[in-house]
Amino acid sequence: MRRTITLWIVIGLVGFCLLPWYMVDSGFWTFTWIFHFAAQENSSGLLQVFLHGRFWLAGPLIALLACAAVLGLVNRPVRAARMIAAISALGLLYTFVQGLIIVRGGPRLFESLLAGTAADAGQLGFGAGAMITLLGLLFVLTTAISAMGKGRGDAFVTGLIGLIISLVGIFVFYPVAHILISAFQSNDGTFSPGLFFPRFFNSDIWGLGCLDLKGSCGPAINSVVLAILTGAGSTLMGLAFALIFTRTDFKAKPLLRVLTIIPIITPPFVIGLALILLFGRTGAATALFADVFGIEKTRWLYGFKGVYLAQLLSFTPIAFLVLIGVVEGVSPSMEEASQTLDANRWQTFRYVSLPLMRPGLANAFLLGFIESLADFGNPLVLGGNFNVLSTEIYFSIVGAVANPARAATLAIVLLTLTLGAFLLQRRWVGSKSYATVTGKADSGRHAALSSGVKAACYMTALPWAAFTAIVYSMIIFGSFVKLWGYNNSFTLDHYIRAFGVKFKNGIHLTGVAWDSYFTTLEIASIAAPLTAFVGLSTAYLLVRQNFRGKNVFEFSTMLSFAIPGTVIGVSYILAFNFPPIELTGTGIILIIVFVFRNMPVGVRGGIAAMSQLDKSLDEASITLGANSFTTARRVIAPLLGPAMMAALTYSFVRAITSVSAVIFLVSAKYNMATAFIVGRVENGDFGLAIAYSAVLIVTMLTVIILLQLIIGKRRLRRSDRVETVVVKT
Amino acid sequence: MMENSARGSVVFDGVVKKYGSVTALKKLSLSIEPGQLVTLLGPSGCGKTTTLRLIAGLEAATEGSIFIGGEDVTHLSATYRKVSMVFQSYALFPHMSVLQNVAYGLTVKSMPKAEAHAKAEEGLELVGLKGYGDRLPSELSGGQQQRVAVARAIVLEPEVLLLDEPLSNLDAKLRRHVREEIRQIQQDLGLTAVYVTHDQEEAMAVSDRIIVMRNAEIAQEGSPHDLYERPNSSFIADFIGDANLVTCEVTATENGHSTVQVEGKTITLPVDFPRPGAAKLVLRPHHVSLSKETTAESFEGSVTYAAYLGNQIQYSLTGELGDIFVIGETIAQPFAVGDNVQIHIEPDKAMLVADEPLGK
Amino acid sequence: MTKRYVIGAAVFAAVFAVQQAAAEELSMVCSNEQDWCDLMVGAFSDKTGIDVSMVRKSTGETLAQVRAEAGNPKIDVWWGGTGDPHLIAASEGLTQPIGVDTSELLGWAQKMADISGGRTIGIHLGVLGIAYNDDVLKEKGITPPSCWRDLADPMYKGEIQVANPNSSGTAYTELATLVQVFGEDEAFKLLTEIGKNVNQYTKSGSAPSKAAARGETGISIGFEHDMVKLAKAGFPLKIVSPCEGTGYEVGGLSIITGAKNFDAAKKFAEFALSAEAQSLGPQVGVYNVPSNKNATLPPEAPDPSTIKLIDYDFATYGSTETRERLLKRWDEEVKGSGN
Repeated sequence: MRRTITLWIVIGLVGFCLLPWYMVDSGFWTFTWIFHFAAQENSSGLLQVFLHGRFWLAGPLIALLACAAVLGLVNRPVRAARMIAAISALGLLYTFVQGLIIVRGGPRLFESLLAGTAADAGQLGFGAGAMITLLGLLFVLTTAISAMGKGRGDAFVTGLIGLIISLVGIFVFYPVAHILISAFQSNDGTFSPGLFFPRFFNSDIWGLGCLDLKGSCGPAINSVVLAILTGAGSTLMGLAFALIFTRTDFKAKPLLRVLTIIPIITPPFVIGLALILLFGRTGAATALFADVFGIEKTRWLYGFKGVYLAQLLSFTPIAFLVLIGVVEGVSPSMEEASQTLDANRWQTFRYVSLPLMRPGLANAFLLGFIESLADFGNPLVLGGNFNVLSTEIYFSIVGAVANPARAATLAIVLLTLTLGAFLLQRRWVGSKSYATVTGKADSGRHAALSSGVKAACYMTALPWAAFTAIVYSMIIFGSFVKLWGYNNSFTLDHYIRAFGVKFKNGIHLTGVAWDSYFTTLEIASIAAPLTAFVGLSTAYLLVRQNFRGKNVFEFSTMLSFAIPGTVIGVSYILAFNFPPIELTGTGIILIIVFVFRNMPVGVRGGIAAMSQLDKSLDEASITLGANSFTTARRVIAPLLGPAMMAALTYSFVRAITSVSAVIFLVSAKYNMATAFIVGRVENGDFGLAIAYSAVLIVTMLTVIILLQLIIGKRRLRRSDRVETVVVKT
Repeated sequence: MMENSARGSVVFDGVVKKYGSVTALKKLSLSIEPGQLVTLLGPSGCGKTTTLRLIAGLEAATEGSIFIGGEDVTHLSATYRKVSMVFQSYALFPHMSVLQNVAYGLTVKSMPKAEAHAKAEEGLELVGLKGYGDRLPSELSGGQQQRVAVARAIVLEPEVLLLDEPLSNLDAKLRRHVREEIRQIQQDLGLTAVYVTHDQEEAMAVSDRIIVMRNAEIAQEGSPHDLYERPNSSFIADFIGDANLVTCEVTATENGHSTVQVEGKTITLPVDFPRPGAAKLVLRPHHVSLSKETTAESFEGSVTYAAYLGNQIQYSLTGELGDIFVIGETIAQPFAVGDNVQIHIEPDKAMLVADEPLGK
Repeated sequence: MTKRYVIGAAVFAAVFAVQQAAAEELSMVCSNEQDWCDLMVGAFSDKTGIDVSMVRKSTGETLAQVRAEAGNPKIDVWWGGTGDPHLIAASEGLTQPIGVDTSELLGWAQKMADISGGRTIGIHLGVLGIAYNDDVLKEKGITPPSCWRDLADPMYKGEIQVANPNSSGTAYTELATLVQVFGEDEAFKLLTEIGKNVNQYTKSGSAPSKAAARGETGISIGFEHDMVKLAKAGFPLKIVSPCEGTGYEVGGLSIITGAKNFDAAKKFAEFALSAEAQSLGPQVGVYNVPSNKNATLPPEAPDPSTIKLIDYDFATYGSTETRERLLKRWDEEVKGSGN
């Protein structure tokens, strides 16, 4: 314990003394700041205090030194730990507060409080030095807390909890608070909480006008109905696919797999566009039905039906990803046990396998529900007069009449719905244990499906797969024709415009898409492992560790996922455009927004997978003298191969395909592919948009296959994938 | 409670464990001598596994202190306690080979790989699994997996070895074999071992001392012999070995003799009893004899079931003493079902315990 | 233990890897069509050597971002897009006077500069019009409309698509135009009648014309340059300038208050207003009317001289007050009148 604290104090001091405290204009990794280290903007915290008279920055230094002193002078370990925890917590708090109140521009808190040098000084955003110092203080704090006997005395666990709470606090709560506050403000910006309830319970939001089949319902009602149906539908589809994969000898599994993955890796708007071209009033399929069956051409696609169809196409794969792991994880011996008890295959499925999949089903539903609530692209393209919360929020912010208060109120409605879904899910899964992978090895075969279930699976999944295939052939087709739907002559023009390359004195990338393409790949490849790490770590804490406030912690990690991207995007600008954390216009803000928006998927997947790993495996490792970190690395991580794969894939793909949050955060220098594509779609330049989308799809497919090859190897071989009987209470 | 501070000793001083509002342990104090094999025995839910997990550090005590080898480990995480544990489910890492499993604890303590593997081989040899190192756990039988789990725990040379129902997943024959092996290894290595089981026969067979737990506290502790011969409650009497419990009334007790009223008959037993009042007469099945002869102190009964087992005959009877179970050693003239017989109590073998409702 | 630090360092390194050097440059948000944005940025960089980083965003998004970034803007110049949000930004002090010579510009462009106190200058004119899909109307046997009033004819039931003025600047321009042409009460009466024929109030202003181009709707209301572009692309779209007279938008150019590269931004403003630059539009399918007198007018562009343009009162109808009043009335009277 002493050693760990000392180490973090040293790291903190190094950050404070040797690295530039503020954000360096030329960028940290250029290292040009080394040559002008004494200059005020480049120098470290230490020099800021002694050379540039910024005495208020001495706070973190004093905290670190005081911790070191306590460590050296106080003998009773628990008392020393308490003192160190208090000092480092104060140091952290102080550092943030000074950063918030001593600023150059933007909102300034406690203005009247400051006088003298501090009042006139403006500060830049925190830089590398500040970050390392704060990190040092944070881990001194968490290590000290573990030394006080919390978290079973495990420094790794308290450190991880501290780290994730800090990250979620800074990158979820802090920005979201900025925007939610406006729900309690009147239009001129004064704080008036009385306005909230009339706004919240407005019939504009909750109207039930659609019940008489004439009027229209409020967006909240529309969203809920849509989300429930999408959640249920995608879970059902996902289950059908998962069952076909694990419990049948269906021949074309690889093809099916591709078809279940592709919708996930499709950039937004593309599915909507393809549906319009198929089922719109002048769509190919509509025309066909009109010619053959004389069915009238209508605009049925625009509204609930179209959005529902598009969402099912988009979100079924997510349910599938969650469910495949769970369906695979159900212990064959339990199914065998059931069969030996004379249950037939249907009964085994109904009373044994299905209930054991319950956490997975609940997770898949929750994800589908939340995704549907937050989905923005499909309702935008296909919604017609069917208004949902996410689009209403978007247009409350960017519409001709900006109304942040309404946006914030709607965002709170959305949050309330998510919270409700979350609590219901908790209730339904309950506290039963679903552990089916234990340390007791035995082998067995999964029960085959009864013919009824099998037929049902085939009948839902295969037409769906065919439908997906048609939609995607349309997309590919669209990228090679001059004017989709009107002039179907072959052309490579769209690809050349987007990804043209000139060979003249070396290679010149002349296509208009190259810049955003490379930026997108770079950002996504950095964000994906970070997302997987944060997500699975959180899942680990939630499943394997007990600590106070765990439920709140769990919900807070779901928060950023539940809030629509638009709100997140704007709140990020509001929060991170000013010191102390100044990130707008950088690539970091994009990475961060992806990590914290996509982390809940890692968390849900991790939770589902981890609750199938018997806890005695970790306990065995711990009692064998491994610490929690070693246990996580050597025992849990290897057994979580599929979950890790899912988290990595999903976050990589989402970083490439998400649009609503990103659209506010892309900057001239860091433009993302989706923002580029949306711009093209807005301008009716469908050919280029689709060609670009096709290239992105191929890119993502390649990456996914590579990932599968690398991580797939670490999966348990079939023969030693252990599963067994024990469902402990 | 600090008198026991030698290496390998375990001391609980007023340890309370609560899960929310549920109390899993009520102010438990106990002391385990080094080198002993102590069994925590009791029905499920009695707190024995919680106690074991508290020693391992897998649970944190709500109140009180825990000492291992004289060192206060109450706040020490499981990683740093010098104990290792054999789990009921074995908890073998399915993605590692047998050798890697056994060497795991050594490698995480940064022992060089070659050395760790050599020690792991020794460990495997000790449990009779030499040459199985390259297999995966799923390729071993249940008994072999169990021995791997033991090897994995003992190669670390722990101060205390914890075993959580290690035999419950094995068949009866193997169970006897493996428990003898465990006892052998424990004695050879001079390990302190804490053994959790709900099987009293297993406990009797392996233990130096047994701690019987019930309702989150200790019901009685002592050597197997003590518990069998001097149960302090009808619960213990019933739980340790077979016993017939007959309701009776102690009318007088003095000078190591008690006068007892049973079904209208008065018998005198050579035992003490705290005070006159309701009690239970404890009759072990083989301390009761049957005959056709009626005496002043015999009771009537009729045979409802008789099972011939070669070296003995087991009878179930019903009659004045209620339903009782008797082991008859007179094979020559067995009674038949339906026979009316006289039940004779051997006064010097009978015991008295306080009358209290039976546990489960 | 040590491994944890290695991982920590790797995470840290990864986070900072993308934070790279920021050279001296011009940061621009372009609210025009992507190709037009790309072309102009290229031409400007070639000419001045200034390194421009440009991103395309719609006016609504840009205004939201400029508001959020007030005090510490990341954007220097905002080029293109309908004038209203530019004027709103100007009135909120989010943009600063540019100080360029406007003598070569057409009257409506100068007027915009006057209204905004020199903060926003008109760069192009977009005329509001009606488009119809020739194929669809023929198939249904409906005659095309030629005036605003025609749209109220019940034969167009379910065929008209127009944006919602609450979310779309285009639709608000239409609302304001009708109010200016017919007077407020009459205009709302007409809108209510037209509303009976409307199949959908879209969120985005350009969506109706795209839907009309594909035949998803028969008739759309929007800006004519969008329609020209779609027609040029090969869709069977015909354009009508309403007989009663029509309104228009003026595309704006603004420099953000507190811009870090003001000089470069000003240079861009001068360039964007020059005849040379404004004549480039048709190369990439931009068919609106440029604001420089000397710029060559593309033949496909709607010729202002043949269209009956109203004298659009930007000052009145751009004001928040009027806007909120009209939108409220629209919500109450028009929104629910459709089906």
